[in-house]
Amino acid sequence: MGAPQLIGFEHKLVVGVGDMAVSNNPNLVLTTYSLGSCLGISIYDPVVRVAGLLHIMLPDSTIDPAKAAARPCMFVDTGTPLLFRSAYELGAVRQRLKITVAGGAQIMDGSGFFNIGKRNIDAFSELLARNSLSVVASQVGGMVNRTMNLHISTGAIRLKISGQPDEVSLWTP
Amino acid sequence: MDALDALINKVGYLPPLPQQVPQMLELLRKDEVDSDQVVTLIAHDPSLTANVMRLCNSVMFGAATPATDLHEAVLRLGFREVCQLVLVISTASTLMPPQKAYGLEASELWKHSVATALAAKTIATDLGDDANMAFTAGLLHDVGKVILARALEDTYATLLSDVEQTMIPMVEAEKKLLGFQHAEVGGRMLARWKFSAPLVAGVWFHHDPIKAHPHERLAAYVFLGNMIAYFMGHGYGHLAFAFRGRAEALEILNIQPEALPHYMLQTFEALEDVKGLLNFGSAST
Repeated sequence: MGAPQLIGFEHKLVVGVGDMAVSNNPNLVLTTYSLGSCLGISIYDPVVRVAGLLHIMLPDSTIDPAKAAARPCMFVDTGTPLLFRSAYELGAVRQRLKITVAGGAQIMDGSGFFNIGKRNIDAFSELLARNSLSVVASQVGGMVNRTMNLHISTGAIRLKISGQPDEVSLWTP
Repeated sequence: MDALDALINKVGYLPPLPQQVPQMLELLRKDEVDSDQVVTLIAHDPSLTANVMRLCNSVMFGAATPATDLHEAVLRLGFREVCQLVLVISTASTLMPPQKAYGLEASELWKHSVATALAAKTIATDLGDDANMAFTAGLLHDVGKVILARALEDTYATLLSDVEQTMIPMVEAEKKLLGFQHAEVGGRMLARWKFSAPLVAGVWFHHDPIKAHPHERLAAYVFLGNMIAYFMGHGYGHLAFAFRGRAEALEILNIQPEALPHYMLQTFEALEDVKGLLNFGSAST
């Protein structure tokens, strides 16, 4: 029998912009606020119950290599591998990982000059494809600002959309 | 009195503008300012004084030994920095309350406004324009929402479904429903508060900067600052991203779209500096 779970005593751990958190503590809810055009990327291994959440702002570290060196989680191409490696250190196995992604909101832009959200989504999709990985759920694009919650105890991902009263489920195991 | 004034009067509520704001803006316009004038202006208000001292002595300004009075604070920070702090603190009372009609929770409009101000200032500084003007216009750009939220109280659901079904920008839906949109209402409010012509135009045309001529550069800073604030997550309310991209804003300022990610990173740094001080950390969810 495992240790008793402190149901009702969940603690929120906030993941800021350009940051990430990885844990196997079932009492934690990893939360990242207000994604805007940023992406919230989550991974979860249901066997060892290791979960991670990353909040990236920009698609590509070549935009500012110095910044990427100091803050790799700011960019898709440097943050995502770091998220996976940190989960492996806690015993997660690549083949078991459930990946979800949310965010990448877009304004009404015919010019394509302001498509940071889309470029983030594209960069992440390409990175997954190159590594033969795929998401189990995603809610990206659109004109809304999203907050993402990852409940480590269950692996459930819930989204709060700004201006809407209730949370919605993005994925449950 | 035209129809726009009539709307503002009909709502019967013009948020009070803190008395220091017009005087601060007047001081910011001058090349040389006697720091006594700034101190006098702040010292009238004890809570403002306390806030300025607290901010001055924070890590943001890396003070090794704390400033002991307002004179020292103003000398250390420079009066322009102090004026900006005063603007941010004093507009909070107007921008902090929730605006239900826009789906905005308490403090969200204010956070959005501060993020916009910092982003607009970042770009204006980089391009060698008046950073204080860009900051102030950014801070006040959505003040019209405070008026329109009252006029929209019963029609918010209609507004949202209009945007969702017809894919028109929020400002166009506002115009269709009420005859006015928040940017022009805000511009008119600033005019009634006797703000300068560039600031009025910068706010009035922040969704369509080319129409702000001859103040289109300022309006372009506000447009881009506003957009960057949304991108970085400081844009709240439902369908917050329902506004048009204006490629003209880049042309007006003669910059390339590739510059935007750099301005986002710089704005991120600027926000990190003020976040803790302004209780800016986590959103209310």
